Amino acid sequence: MRSRALEALLVEKGLISTDAVDAVVEMYENDVGPQNGAKVVARAWVDPDYRRRLLADGTSAIAELGFEGAEGSKMTVVENTPAVHNVIVCTLCSCYPWPVLGLPPTWYKSAAYRSRVVAEPRAVLAEFGLEIGPDVELRVWDSSAEVRYLVLPERPPGTEGMSETELASLVPRDAMIGTAVALAPETVR
Amino acid sequence: MTDRTIIDRVDASLAGAAPLPRDNGELVFEEPWQGRALGMGVAVMDRFGIPSDEFRTHLVAAIGEHTEAPGESAATAYYAAWVAALERLLRDRGLIDPSSAETPPRS
Repeated sequence: MRSRALEALLVEKGLISTDAVDAVVEMYENDVGPQNGAKVVARAWVDPDYRRRLLADGTSAIAELGFEGAEGSKMTVVENTPAVHNVIVCTLCSCYPWPVLGLPPTWYKSAAYRSRVVAEPRAVLAEFGLEIGPDVELRVWDSSAEVRYLVLPERPPGTEGMSETELASLVPRDAMIGTAVALAPETVR
Repeated sequence: MTDRTIIDRVDASLAGAAPLPRDNGELVFEEPWQGRALGMGVAVMDRFGIPSDEFRTHLVAAIGEHTEAPGESAATAYYAAWVAALERLLRDRGLIDPSSAETPPRS
């Protein structure tokens, strides 16, 4: 392979190191990163007006924070409550709200997740370690090229005095897909 | 240490004339060597302070000259041209010896 030959040559000549190439590749892999989404969630938790705007028009509210670029597709934010748990999928391919979540995890693109989360969401979420009570309604949102979904997880209890930045650190990627919930504050302290 | 800004700069610089292959916003790498090729190019530009426009000129030329192999995908063609462009850049800058740069064409 020509690319490998060139890399070997450059390394041999001491022009670049394999580590330098690794570092760049790694950054590309974490291209956007779910931290954008976490900022959106944290803002919605602290600012009721923002939250209203976010739920009414996800695309514009997310753009307010400077995150744009899903090729003209609409962003719809679905809110978890004590009575409703939301989870997103793309049954057709791997549509994903990448401007806010970065690259989709491998499992999100797997045929197993795509088909099973629709047919048996409770069982799939249990495999992620998330038990959804029988009294909680489960809604599965199928993303497409036109509409991408983002889950707004519930704000964990005991976070009243936390700053927006601290709150964002409680929001893992999977909580915005719906296969997890936000972290309890003691887990990150 | 390479920081994110160089990556964004390269990405933005190539966006018009020779955009990185993407699908659904994600960068497309069909084989791991393509990701390495990209990483190598960025690492070289970063290390030697080479403006991304300079690389872009070579890349646009290499894309123009690239003859697609039967059944070759867009990403494969793009990164084949990428590697060729990087070789030219390195030769042009005198970083590699013109003769030693001639690695065998696709193997």
